[in-house]
Amino acid sequence: MRNQEGPQADEESEAATSIPTSELDDWANFGDDDIMQQQSAIRAEEAVKTLFVGDKEPLSTLAAEYQSGSPILLEKIKVLGEKYAAIRRTRGDGNCFFRSFMFSYLEHILESQDREEVDRVKANVEQCRKTLQSLGYADFTFEDFFALFLEQLDSVLQGNETSISQQDEILLRSRDQSISDYVVMFFRFVTSGEIRKRSEFFEPFITGLTNATVEQFCKSSVEPMGEESDHVHITALSDALGVPIRVVYLDRSSCDSGGVSVNHHDFVPAVGDLPNASGSSETVTPFITLLYRPGHYDILYQK
Amino acid sequence: MQASRARLFKEYKEVQREKVADPDIQLVCDDSNIFKWTALIKGPSETPYEGGIFQLAFAVPEQYPLQPPQVRFLTKIFHPNVHFKTGEICLDILKNAWSPAWTLQSVCRAIIALMAHPEPDSPLNCDSGNLLRSGDIRGYQSMARMYARLAAMPKKG
Repeated sequence: MRNQEGPQADEESEAATSIPTSELDDWANFGDDDIMQQQSAIRAEEAVKTLFVGDKEPLSTLAAEYQSGSPILLEKIKVLGEKYAAIRRTRGDGNCFFRSFMFSYLEHILESQDREEVDRVKANVEQCRKTLQSLGYADFTFEDFFALFLEQLDSVLQGNETSISQQDEILLRSRDQSISDYVVMFFRFVTSGEIRKRSEFFEPFITGLTNATVEQFCKSSVEPMGEESDHVHITALSDALGVPIRVVYLDRSSCDSGGVSVNHHDFVPAVGDLPNASGSSETVTPFITLLYRPGHYDILYQK
Repeated sequence: MQASRARLFKEYKEVQREKVADPDIQLVCDDSNIFKWTALIKGPSETPYEGGIFQLAFAVPEQYPLQPPQVRFLTKIFHPNVHFKTGEICLDILKNAWSPAWTLQSVCRAIIALMAHPEPDSPLNCDSGNLLRSGDIRGYQSMARMYARLAAMPKKG
């Protein structure tokens, strides 16, 4: 397996462990690291089959995926087609929610050129920075991630020195690991900070998911890359940045009445100190719509 | 690459600043390579490792801090979660629970905590793990203390 990991991984493992190669044939010498590396190699192999952020595809490609599958799903995709025109897939590497949010948000700013929205989000980002500082995070652990996100934000607004005008450019950046992963990590810091800041609010939801304390949950399920997101993460990110998010659910659930409907849930950020008023507000229509299928998020485009 | 270098440089400055604050950890960067570090950590008190000085080697990957540093004991240590031959450490934050919120300094702190609180259910050193799992605390402690004396303490006279 070692040979299939590409030159970089090999260099690293050689640098770290000075096990003579002759000993590697012996099973007793396969350590945790070797198993971890094999696992991550398999994961990486699977992951590269999809780009971090794919091209926009017509919704019909979604139906094609389930051609011989559940009739309920096909029925639901038909219903989806009444409101939505296209889907953009993201890589299923555990970061798909954050990556979908990143692309969707930057694309929205590029198209709308909504300076007010950018100013508003920047103010919230500053608030998040203060939150992390007050929670005891050292500045140097998160500042690079913050800086990179703000840089992306500036670049999609026209009239800046570093402006980009093409959608292709956001796509390239979203596919460039050194940018994409840093922005994902920025969102993870923001999400973790928000959860810990309002730990009393989030605690019951977290206890419902795992046995962990709020802090353990943030350390093990929010901050590490590749950890999947749940409604707790979505609520926290939406609240922290003040950005509403719509999640459309595509699963095999059906209603008794026989008719098929596709459920969605709007995560609407808290106003002031009120907790997230999820779903209750009809006045806000999120400009970010994600398609959730159990275990994965993609981006949806309205007609 | 550039990002990891910049981050490591910040950590280097932080280490210089914090030297006094954390007398149990002495973290040193290789003179010619910022991706190579070594640390001397004090065995925690009220453990069989008390009085010992243990050396750790850090190999930092280019994708740091998105990926964890690889850390191993250079000093021989008898501990359920440390490989007896290679010094490899079984600790979640060095594997899938890693995040950039950790630093080389806080990794050292986590390793000291692991020395004080072994997790015998995920052993890299089965002999040590089995002693603890079978409840032979005395057996584990005397083995751990013997190796600490042999390997981690300066020879007397």
